[in-house]
Amino acid sequence: MTATVAADTRRMPRSRRTRTSPRLRYGLVVLTFLLPSAVPLALFTLGPMIAAAWISMTEWNLLTPMKFVGFDNYAQLLSDPRTSDVFLHTVYYIVGYLPLVYVGGLALALALNGALHGRSFLRGVYFLPVVTSWIVVALVWRWLLNPSTGIVNAALGAVGIEGPGWWSEPAWAMPSIILASAWKDLGFVMVILLAGLQSINPDMYDAARVDGAGRWRQLVSITLPLLSPSTFFVVVISLINGFQVFDQVYAMTGGGPGGATQVVVQQVYDLTFRYSRAGEASALSWMLFAVILAVTIAQVRVQKRWVNHA
Amino acid sequence: MFGVVLIGAMIMFFPFLWTIITSISPGVGLTVTPALFPDDPSLEAYRRLFAERPFGRVILNSVALAAITTIVQLFTSATAAYAFSRLPFRGRSVVFSMYLATMMIPLQVLIVPLFVELKALGLLNTYLGALLPTFASAFGIFLVRQAMNQVPKELDEAATIDGAGHFRIFWSIILPNVRPAIATLVVFAFMGSWNSFLWPLVVLRSPELQTLPIALAGLRGQYISDWDVIMAGSVVSVLPMLALYIFAQKYVVQGVASSGIK
Amino acid sequence: MNRPILTVAIMASSVALVVTGCASTPAESGGPITISYTNFISNGGNEDNLAAIVAAFEEDNPDIVVDVTTLPYGDYGTAIQTDLAAGTVSDVFDIEYANYAAYQATGVLAPLEVTDPAAYRQSLLDAYSTDGTSYALPSSFSDVVLFYNAALFDAAGLEYPSSDWTWADERSAAQALTDQAAGIWGDHQPISFYEYYKVLAQNGESFLTEDGSAVAFNTPGGIEAAEWLVNKSGTVMPTIEQGQGTADFDTNLFKEGKLAMMHTGIWVFGAVADVPFTWDIAVEPGNTTQASAVFSNAIGVSAASANVEAASLWAEFLTSSQAMVDVRLESGWELPPISDDAQLASYLDKGAPANRQAVFDSLEGIALPPVVAVGQTEMQDIIGEELVEAQAGRKSVEDALASAEQRINAVLAG
Repeated sequence: MTATVAADTRRMPRSRRTRTSPRLRYGLVVLTFLLPSAVPLALFTLGPMIAAAWISMTEWNLLTPMKFVGFDNYAQLLSDPRTSDVFLHTVYYIVGYLPLVYVGGLALALALNGALHGRSFLRGVYFLPVVTSWIVVALVWRWLLNPSTGIVNAALGAVGIEGPGWWSEPAWAMPSIILASAWKDLGFVMVILLAGLQSINPDMYDAARVDGAGRWRQLVSITLPLLSPSTFFVVVISLINGFQVFDQVYAMTGGGPGGATQVVVQQVYDLTFRYSRAGEASALSWMLFAVILAVTIAQVRVQKRWVNHA
Repeated sequence: MFGVVLIGAMIMFFPFLWTIITSISPGVGLTVTPALFPDDPSLEAYRRLFAERPFGRVILNSVALAAITTIVQLFTSATAAYAFSRLPFRGRSVVFSMYLATMMIPLQVLIVPLFVELKALGLLNTYLGALLPTFASAFGIFLVRQAMNQVPKELDEAATIDGAGHFRIFWSIILPNVRPAIATLVVFAFMGSWNSFLWPLVVLRSPELQTLPIALAGLRGQYISDWDVIMAGSVVSVLPMLALYIFAQKYVVQGVASSGIK
Repeated sequence: MNRPILTVAIMASSVALVVTGCASTPAESGGPITISYTNFISNGGNEDNLAAIVAAFEEDNPDIVVDVTTLPYGDYGTAIQTDLAAGTVSDVFDIEYANYAAYQATGVLAPLEVTDPAAYRQSLLDAYSTDGTSYALPSSFSDVVLFYNAALFDAAGLEYPSSDWTWADERSAAQALTDQAAGIWGDHQPISFYEYYKVLAQNGESFLTEDGSAVAFNTPGGIEAAEWLVNKSGTVMPTIEQGQGTADFDTNLFKEGKLAMMHTGIWVFGAVADVPFTWDIAVEPGNTTQASAVFSNAIGVSAASANVEAASLWAEFLTSSQAMVDVRLESGWELPPISDDAQLASYLDKGAPANRQAVFDSLEGIALPPVVAVGQTEMQDIIGEELVEAQAGRKSVEDALASAEQRINAVLAG
């Protein structure tokens, strides 16, 4: 790393000579670019995170003074079968949601990147669910997936399939949430990937066409590799957000039926504000943090193999 | 192809249509499927929305907070992204991981410590208190950094040879080349602020400081709710975001077309 | 974006920040005492009514100013918990009965000296006192009654519900009235904690043991009470799949004329006022005894308040003054918690329903929710969840109650 810095500073213009060393000046440049974001993040996110770490080692009902209990909260959470349940439900959500939303969003971005008539309008329409509140979306999806009167089961019935109980049945409640979430977030993925597609130099396609590459070939050898930084972004962000899934669960099933869709953050919310067990809530959050961090680090490691850097 | 996209669009539009119809059907509950053409359509819900609540003021608050958040986040995201993309330094990947780590803990547990901190700073019940925690976003930095990583290094090298420093390169070479990402960030930063609920709820208490999501939540009573007014509020809250998105999309296309190097 | 625009934008936003930051800093002065009051009770349409009571108070007490903050009911708990944790809670704040025990036990509530205890309904005042001292004052009450669609009863040739009905009467009427083919349902009663503790009382059982250290519902009588609720689903009441359990479901079904009876609170009078058929109310039927659910909100004074005296004055004014009684009765904003029934007389002839007397008759047998100092919300969540498991047919009523007993006892044991 030091070698790179040295190489970089050597490239700095020498016309303006100052008394400060190039190294110090470079350090100042780095600081100037970093401080505007580092200061608010350190003060208003990292700080409270550290406070939460302290709270996680106390017993605190938010009303009476905290009582230090060391790692008791963590030990208790680890011995509670509900902890593994909420983590498993969360992972189930991610595993179902991510492929669905990525493939759908990519297809949409590709379709709306071309010279399609009225594409601005269509992009707007596909973005609508992203800005619509979960209260409304949950309502409509509960209606669509209604086991007895919903359109989806009516359509399945028409082709001779008996539809499941969807959100009213433990085994199908999470798939219902996944379906609605993927539908709502398609527009989000589309927007990110569209921005990535816009950055691809059209000349690349012209060259490929001259070489006789078909559309599929172009997709696999030009679009996907050049889109990989955007894909990496979508995957990392979707995983970070996916582990913290809450709104849709709260709105669609409230964690039910029978706790089948209770996820980690819902448990955190209940523990903090409803059950007045802030210590346990903080401990659970830090456990979640550790999981997300591990997953993200793994992705950053692996990305060097597949993400294309200019 | 066009047909598939169009049918998809209709499915996408459906919930919003439902919202609009419910908002003009007075007295209709949520559990009842609204008729496509309500018997007795009325804009009464919209009138009540603005007459019974300070919705004009509320919308102004939300726009102001979202605009400031967006502008500041653009600045902090672009500068940090430049550092992570173009300024190698010892421990850079560790610092970047720490930035990303700020996204990995649920906001729900940060609320109480953050509230205590803002109390110590004397910023409870102020716009500044609502804004400060939104000034930097790891999401935005990551988004812009990915875009900057796609800009060919040859461009900065050429500029360096011409005698340009980092500030020049940042401003005149890199930024114009990541316009699609910047436009995307405008949409998401604005949307993040526009929809944020938990933090403004606890930090902004005076009615004259309230934001839109809190005011909309206020339409739901302890026992019963007027769903037509709530849906009218939803329509009012969705439209500005949609307009901003459509505007930003145009900017993405124009930005790429005019930057010249593509 | 070019340089000047960005510069101007950043400068403008910084200036805006400084200005708004300064503008919203409260100014201290030596004038009248300001007390803060945070509430949810006026949220959703009664903001002006509360303002009228505040104005009357400030006129009586020129040296006190009440600074009101109104929060949405659904999120009030989150905000007030944060305030209590940070020590920024207002001088006076709303509390629900279910939270009273926990707040009292942790010392956040100041003890109150009530000037005129006789002004309050004794049972309501007692609900918020601990060891003979009041720590909060009831601000309103409402109760749950049996609503019925008289037109559907007429069409079926059935007698209207009356105060001497029992579960058996309700059951046979509900069965006769249900016509699933026509989409008509006989009965609706939520399957939840708030219904279950009440039907337990109606069956001579109780939710908790006398000392409140464990649950007492897993008995033959408790099982019978749970079955009374659960077995309505799918027979005389829509199932969860049919929408039961969602917000305002019963009210809307009733308004459409498709529901013959429903158990709900008097707060829906306004929502069903304009239906095109005759409806009325009756005291809820019991099994071995009559018992009705009473919901009351209350207000407490923060023990940390710098102006406990002024705050208590306001608390008492808001809960017992003539101005409050007038505003509440005039606007139909829940019932004032006062003892003087003559004052409430005007309430009886305020229009539909005709039998408003049932609202007061219900108070003769009150079932108050069981409260515990630690684990209240968890207790409510667990019993609700287990009853719904039984309703959905995934567990037998016996298994659900046994499971609830074991889980709740674990919570109560700490």
